[in-house]
Amino acid sequence: METRIGIFLCNCGGGMKNIDFDAVAEKVARMPGVTCVNLVSHLCLDEGREKMIASIREENLDRVIVAACSPEFKEHIFRQALEDAGLNGHLLAMANIREQCSWAHEGDVTEKAVELIKMATNRARLLQPLERKELPVNREVLVIGGGFSAIDTALHLSRLGLRTTLLEKEAVLGTGTGEWQSLHGFDNSSMTAAVEGDRNIDVLASARMTAAEGTIGDFTVTITREGEEISRKYGAIVLATGFRTELAPTSTLKLRTQAEPISGISIVSQEQLFHMLHNSIVEAKPRTIGFMFDFSDENSRFPTLTTLNNALAAKNKWGSEIYIFCKNVKVDSEGAEKLYREARECGVVFLKCETTPRMSMDNGRVAVEARDVFLGEDTVIACDLLVAEELLLPIAGTETLSSLLNIRLDSRGFYQDENVHLYPVASEKKGVFVIGWCRGNLDMGRVLTDISSVVMSVHGLLSSGKILVEVERVKVDPQKCVACLTCIRVCPHGAIQLVRVDGDKEVAGISDLACDACGICSAICPAKAIKFQGYRDEEILAQIEAIGES
Amino acid sequence: MNGCIVAFCCEHSAYPAADLAGRLRLHYPESLRVIRVPCAGRVDVIHILKAFENGASAVLVLGCEDGACHHITGNTRAKERVKYCNMLLKEVEVDGRPVAMFNLSPNTPHKFVRAVNEITKIIKESGR
Amino acid sequence: MNSASRIVLVVGSGISGVASALELANAGFDVYLLEKEAVVGGHAASFPCKATDVCSKCSACVVSDKIKQAVLHPKIRLLTNSAIRKLSGEAGNFRVEITQQPRYVDEERCIACSLCTEVCPTDPKAVYPPPAEGAPFSYILDEALCLHFKGEKCDLCRENCPTKAIEFDRKPQEQELSVGAIVVATGFDVFDARGKGSLGYGRYPDVITGLDLERILNREGCLRLPSNGKEPRNIAFIQCIGSRDEGHGYCSHVCCKYAMKLAGLIKYQVPDTRITIFYIDLQTAGKGFAQFYEEYKAKIRFIRGVPVEILRSEFGELDVRFEDISQGIVCRDTFDLVVLSVGISPGKNSWDLARILGINMSNDGFFDVADPLSTNETNVDGILLAGACQGPKDIPDSVAHGIAAASKAMEILSESVGRRVTG
Ligand SMILES: Cc1cc2nc3c(=O)[nH]c(=O)nc-3n(C[C@H](O)[C@H](O)[C@H](O)COP(=O)(O)OP(=O)(O)OC[C@H]3O[C@@H](n4cnc5c(N)ncnc54)[C@H](O)[C@@H]3O)c2cc1C
Ligand SMILES: Cc1cc2nc3c(=O)[nH]c(=O)nc-3n(C[C@H](O)[C@H](O)[C@H](O)COP(=O)(O)OP(=O)(O)OC[C@H]3O[C@@H](n4cnc5c(N)ncnc54)[C@H](O)[C@@H]3O)c2cc1C
Ligand code: SF4
Ligand code: SF4
Repeated sequence: METRIGIFLCNCGGGMKNIDFDAVAEKVARMPGVTCVNLVSHLCLDEGREKMIASIREENLDRVIVAACSPEFKEHIFRQALEDAGLNGHLLAMANIREQCSWAHEGDVTEKAVELIKMATNRARLLQPLERKELPVNREVLVIGGGFSAIDTALHLSRLGLRTTLLEKEAVLGTGTGEWQSLHGFDNSSMTAAVEGDRNIDVLASARMTAAEGTIGDFTVTITREGEEISRKYGAIVLATGFRTELAPTSTLKLRTQAEPISGISIVSQEQLFHMLHNSIVEAKPRTIGFMFDFSDENSRFPTLTTLNNALAAKNKWGSEIYIFCKNVKVDSEGAEKLYREARECGVVFLKCETTPRMSMDNGRVAVEARDVFLGEDTVIACDLLVAEELLLPIAGTETLSSLLNIRLDSRGFYQDENVHLYPVASEKKGVFVIGWCRGNLDMGRVLTDISSVVMSVHGLLSSGKILVEVERVKVDPQKCVACLTCIRVCPHGAIQLVRVDGDKEVAGISDLACDACGICSAICPAKAIKFQGYRDEEILAQIEAIGES
Repeated sequence: MNGCIVAFCCEHSAYPAADLAGRLRLHYPESLRVIRVPCAGRVDVIHILKAFENGASAVLVLGCEDGACHHITGNTRAKERVKYCNMLLKEVEVDGRPVAMFNLSPNTPHKFVRAVNEITKIIKESGR
Repeated sequence: MNSASRIVLVVGSGISGVASALELANAGFDVYLLEKEAVVGGHAASFPCKATDVCSKCSACVVSDKIKQAVLHPKIRLLTNSAIRKLSGEAGNFRVEITQQPRYVDEERCIACSLCTEVCPTDPKAVYPPPAEGAPFSYILDEALCLHFKGEKCDLCRENCPTKAIEFDRKPQEQELSVGAIVVATGFDVFDARGKGSLGYGRYPDVITGLDLERILNREGCLRLPSNGKEPRNIAFIQCIGSRDEGHGYCSHVCCKYAMKLAGLIKYQVPDTRITIFYIDLQTAGKGFAQFYEEYKAKIRFIRGVPVEILRSEFGELDVRFEDISQGIVCRDTFDLVVLSVGISPGKNSWDLARILGINMSNDGFFDVADPLSTNETNVDGILLAGACQGPKDIPDSVAHGIAAASKAMEILSESVGRRVTG
């Protein structure tokens, strides 16, 4: 059937002086299939749109070319005009004769404008309508982890009417927060109690996720608990698995064990010091305490905060002399500079060193030898207690979970690729989110915003139980697919799975909900089985064919 | 053909950058023909070869900055394909028509113009 | 529009306000995005992309992306040139009186053709284009410069506008909005570097601020000396200007990173430029930064110490006197460009807004949260904070904070609907 193409030329009210619009109109009218050419001054304003709608109806057009400004800002207006005229919005092609033609060149660009319109027209001939549909999504959410981030997320989602499952590998919730909860004034037990009393929250403790498949709105997860496998379905998955700490390799001396009596000399971790300060009876107050951080890892916002808090507490409780060895004090988190000042005002000494201090045992004490940049000379300080530098690392199991869910890790092994478009809490896979300490975002204020962000995102996706999408925009032709799995491997959004068609045959199938319409699969498929409506090979090649025709 | 430069522009980066160049009236050679794609990763070898078959004097593939691709890996896939095309063109001894990949972001109109000028210079130097 | 409980007012259209508005609009709320300036986008809209061969994670591109989405969103109504006059009511049912100054150039009709600027006889031009990435794109007419408003007969731009977009007789408009919640996202002001007289900002053309540098690179795509248009060969960055001192008991979070990224960009464009950064402590923590720091260390000279004085020699060079702490001596060095890495200061007009809205301010002058475990909630139920108006934040943190505020607003409004239904 012959197409009926209508071309709408907009001269932007005189904003494109280097194009001869009458000449353009005359030339493009001669192209095959062109039913009418309309020269308009302000196509995007009401008067222009009305003209367009009327013309589409009168001329019974089935393809529309708009040669005007960039599609970046006005395409949706014209699409709507098509819809209003009873035509599918995807039967529109735009020729950007303003930003990328008239405004980009000095001389007369009438010829170029004609060519751009020809390119658009060639593409338009091949365009096909796209349907919009509401697809159902499962409203249950799986939150992996049972620490502060996980619990708080579940409580908020519950308030908004979404059911969650908290999946915790330990036997009880809140082990990660442990001793530290009091510091920020939140109370573990009240949170766990709130979870228990919440009918929207289901807790699976001593459990792990051992398999996962599916895409947003329809994940099927296998959970293993005490040797038993459970299969459940969720609409979204939130990872909130926290982090672990390890003694920095530079702390060459052995860490004392929890069992040893807390007296005399020792090297301890931050957590042990915290315990000594808040819970246990100390036989002899340490007179001199040294702290070390920021030598082995630049990412020491959190160690800075912990050190400052612990140092102040030790100063207040024991009146010890305190020396803090570090390269830079990382004060770029809320309240950190205040703590730093407070510490200095009450006599804590900061020694900033470019290189890691040397440590040795000296007569029952730890001698720290450092070159302070302010003093410019080597100093040796003998400490009764040395708080070792700790590294914050991805928690065990991070790699397993990331490969089960097929999401990327960052350069340090935490969840979430360092791609600015994913921040704050998205992963490259729709419906899978990462929050808090497990994405390497280590301080309380930032964790709280992560929690609120994920609540917003999950609620937005799942609350109504359905999502409106354009269906089959990118589609595999089951006849052509040879099930080589290439596309499944390359799809950056994990949108493709094997599906069964006509009884036995397995082919690649794209989830309309999960697909982000990049077209990577359609470029790579060796069988050329994947069609991306609007950007099919035919449509791209047809544009190229128009170049240089005139 | 008239020795056009065909530029495949990712709609998340190069395409808005080109628009911005226009809005700022940063001028570049008229021979540029932009084809908008959803991601540089959509560009296939056949598209590039077709452009040359039609007489293009150069092909540009313009995608997001390395590490900031909206589709994570689209720009690296595009880069591989451009490399492959160059190899292919060399093999069939097509007189070194340039295919180049540039990375940019939507707010870099100057970088867009620089990329176009650079490829124009290469064409000129090779005497085409 | 819907009933008040489905409408949110976002005050300030920087990246945090835009992120908040978008999130709410996508969740089905109607949003008023109120901005005191003529364009949307705040500070970050004028930042350049700082990528070299790889993305430097400066997030500037995220800003242009989100602004575009917000401007196009059918559920977001932009109110530019606007200010809040009065607030009454309570969460779920606020009434806000606003005044909108006229634009004189109609947003819908202006097609950014630049004909008006061409014919405008004043110098500088009284009608000019918005910043490249700002939105809306319509031109801006500055009443203070325009001859028409000085009582002269000039009518040139109006006559030449092809779409009849210019209307001189527009008057300020008063409006009352009914909204369920308010997100305050009024951002910050950069520290006024004139406050550090000995560093010569405002006196020496080649002493500029980080914000100036961001804007130059964005506009021009490359860097030239303001004094003579030549390429700078030897540049110094001075950190912590307006942060971590007597008046500012906080670190601005962003300056170390933007300085290093800008330095990296300049080095990438002109590899033999020499760059020195003077600092107190380098803030290199944060996701995805450590690996860049290693590279910067190899390319940039870092000196621990903050310069006390800058003088200009008779040849126009800038003579910087500083204490090199690691050597314990006072040194001097000359540069042809000095960049003052100014920090984030509380907005100059925050106090007025705090008074109108009844929200508290912290000792540092930012808006205060209700308690340490809340990040967005103020002392007034239904009024939430987003972005740098609550304290220094970079772009990703501002976006996250904006989304968090949207999340809190949504919870408040769904609860207030719940209350009304049950009670
Ligand atoms: C060295 C150190 C210092 C600290 N200092 C402070 C401080 O100064 N102030 C403060 O408030 N808090 C401090 N904390 C605790 C920290 O606050 C908490 O870790 C945090 O508040 C909770 O964040 P989260 O929920 O993201 O992670 P976590 O609390 O660590 O919770 C993660 C949970 O996920 C579970 N999990 C992990 N992997 C899996 C898996 N594969 N499957 C199922 N479950 C899994 C873990 O068992 C854990 O319960 C410190 C912790 C440490 C270790
Ligand atoms: C020199 C410099 C360089 C930087 N570089 C980077 C970088 O490379 N990467 C990065 O991540 N971050 C960077 N930042 C930080 C970044 O600028 C901020 O994170 C971001 O701009 C904060 O956004 P905001 O929306 O909170 O505030 P703003 O951008 O300040 O926006 C606030 C908006 O509110 C409006 N407003 C104010 N008061 C009112 C009122 N009463 N009524 C109505 N509207 C009002 C303002 O006009 C403005 O549009 C930099 C900061 C500086 C100073
Ligand atoms: S790449 Fe093509 S042939 Fe291979 S599985 Fe995917 S659709 Fe099928
Ligand atoms: S278009 Fe992109 S997101 Fe969609 S299925 Fe193909 S590769 Fe995946």
